Amino acid sequence: MTKSLHAEFHADDATQITAKVLLNEQIARETFRLRIECPKIAHAILPGQFVMIRLSNHDDPLIGRPLALYETVVETKEAGPAIEVVYLVKGKFTSRLAELTQDQFVDVWGPLGNGFLPEPTDHLVMVAGGIGYTPFLALAQEYLNHKQYGKPLRNVSKSQKVTLCYGARSAEYFAGIKAFNHLGVDLHLSTDDGTRGHHGLVTDLLQNVLRETSLPHRIVCCGPEPMMKAVAEIAQEREISCQVSLETPMACGIGICFTCVTKVQEDGGGWDYKRTCVEGPVFDAPQIVW
Amino acid sequence: MNARPNSVDLSVQLGRLQLPNPILVASGTFGYAREMEHIVDLSRLGGVIPKTITREPRQGNSPWRTVETTGGLLNSIGLDNDGLDAFVEHHLPYLADMPCPLIVSVAGRTHDEFVSMVTILEKFSGIDAIELNVSCPNVSHGIDFASDAEMCGRLISDIRHACSFPILAKLTPNVTNISKIAEAAAAAGADAICVINTLLGMVVNWRMRRPMLGNGMGGLSGPAIKPVALRCVYQVAKAVDIPVVGIGGIASIDDAMEFFVAGATAVQIGTANYYDPTVSVKIVEALPDALQEVGAKKMQEVVGSLRLEGSLGDARDSSATMLADG
Repeated sequence: MTKSLHAEFHADDATQITAKVLLNEQIARETFRLRIECPKIAHAILPGQFVMIRLSNHDDPLIGRPLALYETVVETKEAGPAIEVVYLVKGKFTSRLAELTQDQFVDVWGPLGNGFLPEPTDHLVMVAGGIGYTPFLALAQEYLNHKQYGKPLRNVSKSQKVTLCYGARSAEYFAGIKAFNHLGVDLHLSTDDGTRGHHGLVTDLLQNVLRETSLPHRIVCCGPEPMMKAVAEIAQEREISCQVSLETPMACGIGICFTCVTKVQEDGGGWDYKRTCVEGPVFDAPQIVW
Repeated sequence: MNARPNSVDLSVQLGRLQLPNPILVASGTFGYAREMEHIVDLSRLGGVIPKTITREPRQGNSPWRTVETTGGLLNSIGLDNDGLDAFVEHHLPYLADMPCPLIVSVAGRTHDEFVSMVTILEKFSGIDAIELNVSCPNVSHGIDFASDAEMCGRLISDIRHACSFPILAKLTPNVTNISKIAEAAAAAGADAICVINTLLGMVVNWRMRRPMLGNGMGGLSGPAIKPVALRCVYQVAKAVDIPVVGIGGIASIDDAMEFFVAGATAVQIGTANYYDPTVSVKIVEALPDALQEVGAKKMQEVVGSLRLEGSLGDARDSSATMLADG
């Protein structure tokens, strides 16, 4: 077996702190937005990167959970720089997280992972399934030059157009629609049950967008694996650059436990397990063995 | 007045290996240290034990590789690593340069492979000791060495002759009598005994009628196993006259002190690194005060100081009750 080496990654800007909850509000069905005060992380984090969050002084659940950056919030009179994450309540951790109120605390470490590469494109096409929409608000802000992220602030050439194809189970699960509209993102919605937008798959929306656009474009995608696989196949057929952000379960988020492995193509053929937390979560779609 | 914390001597001796303090980070729970260098001040640690290396690269087991249990974590990573040659080339230069001792964890498939790996490592500088992972439950044969006193003793004896490294033998709790294995390891020339590796366990999804881990079974770690680990440390410390290194569910200064009192000369922080990456340094920082609290000026004064005469329950001591309640 020829096996490529595990990446010698180390999180240059990562810090661990106990962070104060500034806001924890429901924004859609079973969906919450959490804002926590963590200046160093807020200054350094990039779209597509994530943080690990754990309930302070609680051993149940024991292990932290990875949550993607939704948005950073600059210093206010009341609090220092903060980050926001959005989560879907579906298990023990997220149920307890949803019970947190202002001025309570969580343990947080980050920023982690590679994030999206700032490759210039005239038309950025973002494809989201369910809670997978969360990394795209910050990314859209970057590509529309509304905001910069990272330390030092990174420059991204402005796209002429940013599209979001956003699929959800049902209308009541859509979150952040107002923010995307306000930003001027070209928004296309689909639901599984037809309660809003196209009654069908988000990939149908993507096909329409790709048919109609005359601009050079690239695709970024985050959501359930079958959906990302379908998007990757569409991109491959049309020879479009496509990056996917994986949601592999993690235990540490920093590359030390080797839990979150995913099958990645080897240069010489075959595949190897790579850690999603440090070599991803964003991968070029053709790298992934689906 | 009490001595100032900085007048407390934290150094410990594990046979031929001296450590600046007794707080180590366990193999498989700290990557190759570099991942942690921006989060943890490595110079504060008693030592680092990087992820176990094998002679050849190993792809590891299929996902899922970990699953959370009540107060614990069940894992079956399968020693996913790039092999000894890549370790020496890519990780050792960094690790050898770390501002704290380096203990390299090795696992061989066979007796001869173990010996040859150590012989190869002997050619490189910067390694302060070797930890023999004779107890990984997730690879075939790995566990066998520490399940059989004679086999374990023969291996350690040959490794002792093959190299000049101090030798730490990491044993499994998945045996009938861990003291017998420890005695064999000590007699064969181990510098210290590390207990425990993970407890073999299983998690199933009954609706799917499937195990949760890709490999079926895995090793349980985390706070859930601490009482078992403490018991093993206590038994092994009684059985051998070489130092014991305690491992199993340590996540706070109180946990660490319990192990010292039960007989551990040093401890390794494992799973807690996953959910509290700075835990090891926090424990190092809290250690002087904890020693002072019991009037100790050096580690040796607390190691193995557990008293068995008179039970806390009989004493009806309210402070003891409070401790029992956590």
